Amino acid sequence: MTMKIIVGCKLVPEEQDIVVQADGSLDVSRATPKISPFDLNAIEAAVEVKGLVGEAHITALSVGDKTLENSKARKDILSRGPDAMTAVMDDAYTHLLPEQTAEVMATAAREIGFDLILCGDGSGDLLAQQVGTRLGALLDVATLSGVSKIVSADNGKLVVERALESEVEALEVTLPAVISVSADINTPAIPGMKAILAAGKKPVGTMTPAALFVEKGIAQGTASVELLETKAPKQKERLNVMIEGDGEDQIAELVSHLRKILN
Amino acid sequence: MSKIANVWVFSDVESRQAEVLAGARELGEVVSAFVIGTDGDVAKAYAQGADKVYLLGARETSRIVEDYADTMAKAISEAADSALILLPGTRCCKALASLLGVKLKAGVVTEAYDVTVEDGGVTGKRMVYGGLAHGQEKVASPFAVMVVSGGVFAPESEDAARTGETINVEFVAPKAAIKCLERQPKQATQVDLGKAKRIVSIGRGIAKKEDIAMAEALGAAIDAELGCSRPIAESEKWLEQERYVGISGVMPKPELYLALGISGQIQHMVAANSAQVIVAVNKDKNAPIFQYADYGIVGDLYKIVPALTAAFGEK
Repeated sequence: MTMKIIVGCKLVPEEQDIVVQADGSLDVSRATPKISPFDLNAIEAAVEVKGLVGEAHITALSVGDKTLENSKARKDILSRGPDAMTAVMDDAYTHLLPEQTAEVMATAAREIGFDLILCGDGSGDLLAQQVGTRLGALLDVATLSGVSKIVSADNGKLVVERALESEVEALEVTLPAVISVSADINTPAIPGMKAILAAGKKPVGTMTPAALFVEKGIAQGTASVELLETKAPKQKERLNVMIEGDGEDQIAELVSHLRKILN
Repeated sequence: MSKIANVWVFSDVESRQAEVLAGARELGEVVSAFVIGTDGDVAKAYAQGADKVYLLGARETSRIVEDYADTMAKAISEAADSALILLPGTRCCKALASLLGVKLKAGVVTEAYDVTVEDGGVTGKRMVYGGLAHGQEKVASPFAVMVVSGGVFAPESEDAARTGETINVEFVAPKAAIKCLERQPKQATQVDLGKAKRIVSIGRGIAKKEDIAMAEALGAAIDAELGCSRPIAESEKWLEQERYVGISGVMPKPELYLALGISGQIQHMVAANSAQVIVAVNKDKNAPIFQYADYGIVGDLYKIVPALTAAFGEK
């Protein structure tokens, strides 16, 4: 029997490209979309599970706006191991909150069918760390977060480890399940040329909220959290004492300042 | 600031319980605590500020903390039509928050570093984009779940004489239970920049891996931990991730942050912003780091660093 795996994959703006504007607001318009870092670990974990069970089909599931049309990003996702990709796209999905993302993913996952859903512990932008666990609860299946090791996998169950504050738990999870993985579970492999070329030939399906919710008469829930403001924090006022040059006198001046700080 | 009528608290990590109970007392009128454990744990919860204890019984080793989500959701929803649930940011409590979010149709704010109550509504502040920006999230649902970072609320002094009403709660088994096979104590990580009082941090100005020894020597002389900027950890991989100061790395709070050959990209400076004093060494007079520094020296770090080591080595 082929195990059906879905792996959650979010595109986030490359944080190094985000520009902080004078009023503290963020300009992400010029930031390249990239796969959210934890999701790279989730994809790698999906590939690992596939290796353990033998026969498995991996679908990458992404929810977002038109950014998901970016063919480079799609290829990047597919070159890392998924056999297919499903993108749930809508203009209103630009700044979805975790509860809404989980709801869309749950509906799409039911449509696709699954034995196991793998997610990253949190996304590179909001890092709310809610989607995977909420998804599990919405689908009413076993769910775990912070998974740092997959010990064994077969068609019926997984044995995994997760690290808590002061202990490591070994846990047996009966499928179907939603598992969120931590960044230390693996080191995502860098796709080779062959994988990149093959990625272009893998199927990509799209879904819309109209097909997922409206046509089926399913109501989409209203958000229970409102994002009021996002602003860069003010930098602390600094003394800005400058010493120009690295001669003996200048270094001695720096040493005297450091002595005061260190005492 | 107005108060919330009912606040619920739970912590699976004993050391974090006092702070959420203190926070609950600050934000709410009646404070109820869920306790997994025995009479001693119940007494502790009262001493730390609980008015009521909902006792979930002794911990069963095969259960995980999240298995109590249904039990908690039932108790909370049966007690009142609205409430605030305050949890510490432990691994299990973060998961519990999301589960309660679904079961109670509650808005959840994770890693909140500030929680305020106004007109009966709860607002949390949290970092987004790895700390590059701070977001303010207001919960609109009757039930609100706030997961707070460490240090947000200061624990109150314990009062062993305090007591209250204890309610025994019957366990509601989750539909899909997860079986805990084994628990092992965890090995502590060696590097913890978050606790370092002094940090010597290196960037691109360090030309090759061997030269890190020079920065280490200075670190040893002034009793500082070694940190680095993103390229050193991620591109060069000269140092481990635990030493990388940045919005997707560590955000330390040292007394002294001594930056050697770090240009001072905003993503790095946001992470270093909590340092009391920033000292920068860079050969480029126009490096952005100097805008964020208390003391800056424009010069060759290969000359300056050994001189500093020599100066502080002789004590």
